[in-house]
Amino acid sequence: MTLLTGHGFWNPLLWLAAAAGVTLLALVVWSRGRRDYTRGTDRELPFLSGEKMEGAHVGGGHLYWGFVEGLRPYVERLRALHSGLVNDYVGWLVVILAVAFLIVLVGG
Amino acid sequence: MIGNTPFVVCMVLVLLGLWALLFRRNLIKVVIGIKIVENGVNLYLVATGYVRGGIVPIYTYAPPDAAMVLPTPQALTLTSIVIGLATTALMLAFVVVIHRHKKTLDGRKVTELSG
Amino acid sequence: MNLAAHAPILAVAVPLLGAFALPLWAKLRPSLRDLWLVLVAGATAALTVLVAVQVYTVGIQVYTLGGAWPLDTLAPGGFPIRIVLAVDALSAFMGLITALVAVVGFAYAWRYLVEDEGKTLALTLGTLLWAGMLGMAFTGDLFNLFVFFEVTSIAACGLVGYRTWASRGPEAAFKTMVMYTVGGLFVLLAIALLYGEYGALNLAYLARQITGSVVDRIALALLLGGLLMKAGAVPLHMWAPDAYGEAPAQAVILLVANTQISLYALFRVLFTLYGGVADPAIGWLVVALGTLTLLVAALMAVVQMDLGRLVAFGAVSQIGYMLLGVGVGLTAIAARPAYGLVAIQGGIFHMLNDAVAIGLLFLAVGAVEKAAGNRNLANLGGLGHDLTWTTGFFLLGSLALAGIPPLNGFASKLMIYQSSFLLSPILSALAILASILLLAVFVKAFQGAFLGPKLSQPKPVPVPMLVAMGVLALGVLALGLFPELVVRHLVAPAADALWTGRDLYLRAVLGR
Repeated sequence: MTLLTGHGFWNPLLWLAAAAGVTLLALVVWSRGRRDYTRGTDRELPFLSGEKMEGAHVGGGHLYWGFVEGLRPYVERLRALHSGLVNDYVGWLVVILAVAFLIVLVGG
Repeated sequence: MIGNTPFVVCMVLVLLGLWALLFRRNLIKVVIGIKIVENGVNLYLVATGYVRGGIVPIYTYAPPDAAMVLPTPQALTLTSIVIGLATTALMLAFVVVIHRHKKTLDGRKVTELSG
Repeated sequence: MNLAAHAPILAVAVPLLGAFALPLWAKLRPSLRDLWLVLVAGATAALTVLVAVQVYTVGIQVYTLGGAWPLDTLAPGGFPIRIVLAVDALSAFMGLITALVAVVGFAYAWRYLVEDEGKTLALTLGTLLWAGMLGMAFTGDLFNLFVFFEVTSIAACGLVGYRTWASRGPEAAFKTMVMYTVGGLFVLLAIALLYGEYGALNLAYLARQITGSVVDRIALALLLGGLLMKAGAVPLHMWAPDAYGEAPAQAVILLVANTQISLYALFRVLFTLYGGVADPAIGWLVVALGTLTLLVAALMAVVQMDLGRLVAFGAVSQIGYMLLGVGVGLTAIAARPAYGLVAIQGGIFHMLNDAVAIGLLFLAVGAVEKAAGNRNLANLGGLGHDLTWTTGFFLLGSLALAGIPPLNGFASKLMIYQSSFLLSPILSALAILASILLLAVFVKAFQGAFLGPKLSQPKPVPVPMLVAMGVLALGVLALGLFPELVVRHLVAPAADALWTGRDLYLRAVLGR
């Protein structure tokens, strides 16, 4: 059942057993938590950056906002390459062909 | 040297077609560029099968000791031409549909899908 | 008639002829068409499985067209002029992937496609695409590789653009078609160069004759360009997100299988055809392109707001893992066969995992589009309240694709990470980084589309679509929990076929 992967190995059933153990541990820790927690009060509401409005939804564009914004300068350059112009698409094919020619004729 | 002329012509055709593909913005001209590349390749295929002084490769009519040109490249070229017909027809059909929607054939304005 | 001997050609011929009969049945009655499709798809899948069983138990299957006997590959005099189908373990493996994807896709399409929106067209083109893919996987000579390459191109672009009432589909189809055709012409030019030099098209014969001359090298560069383009390696991938984004969901998973078949053709060329004159620089080119593919596509997926396009970039990024795995194998196998083999196994195993996981994701996106009416992440939200199953399937698919244990993407990615670590630790680091990016992207998409308060009442997802997704979800779980069985029985023979199986392949076709 164990898959050898060069340096190491991988056995999903072993992993599942380990995961079950960790879950059990987490449950034990959780069961020793505070008893004075009450259901059905404000404590159950999700905290959405202080947003009080009912039914507020963090849309797909907003999750990981900082992460995406951090990457944006790099990604915008990549996006500019996806111009949607069919000539550019063919241009990239010519570039790759040129690289391949360089490698097979000069490099190898 | 002179025997290589067909191959040089083929490569010139391929490069011409590529030039059209790279620098012509009109979608119809892009398709024409593809056709030029294709004709260059087809010509190359036929040229590889040519035998100097060879005759048509049909056994029934051939004199006993005649040299024949190779039939395989001709069969390949025929197949390739048929495939080219299908691809060209399909591409032109898409161009017609694009023109119907966008009222333009300028590739720079047909960039709804980008980024 | 000996069915087992004729199975390879029947597996190609049945869907090819069956596809063209579909519109005729549809003229009579749509239900007859569906019945016919079930027959054709069932027969093709059964034949593919039969071929695969033969290959895995007996050995390489060779079929000669026009010969008196299927095994008569050489004309009198020992020169291979006949058209040959040669199915080794890798071809059979690819055939199995296409069969799985196509059967699931058709089951999904039954209720996904709308009758008066070109359902017959989509089913016909889908069957044709399947036939072309099987042909590409099974063929034993280069020219038929080109012919089936173009069959898949035409069918695939038809599938992308047949919905002519919208403007985006034909636009994507046109761009894809231009790329496919130019790539195909370079492949044809390479084949013509090889034919001009050796006077043959038979892959095995060429592989034995090839000397690595300048013409051979030019042909290799042209083949690389054309096949990498069809496989969607960055920076030749630009058509892929357009096409995946605009094609109907059941067609997208066929398109994904099509990129994998092109990768198969690339590997066949690199290992079998050019295996005798292998050049490590080519291996490095494949590795570099693979790394570029998985990183750039994952980065591009981060900023996408259209759910279909987002998953499409995820699909492109997976191609990078396969290229990386097999590229590492190509570079390392001569010096260290054990690690090279693990890398190739990882790359090939990832093809199956990717077909199942990304197929599940694309089908789930199709279900979301059908249920909610749009795919824009800015407008979606709270679908998890009603589409319980679809939500689960999307989550399962995205976790599998991001390589979270114990799902199926993890095992193959682990093999790729570890073997590329041997070549350079930077490669593994970049591959893991891309996986993390993908996880973030999919968590974001999942949260945006399925979690949160209910925004609107989606339509229910038809049961056949759920069943199709369920089959793939079971595949994700099964491949994830029992990777060793799959690798030992399916993947390892396929990986062996590329490297140690080369001589067997040549001997099976040429007879000596």
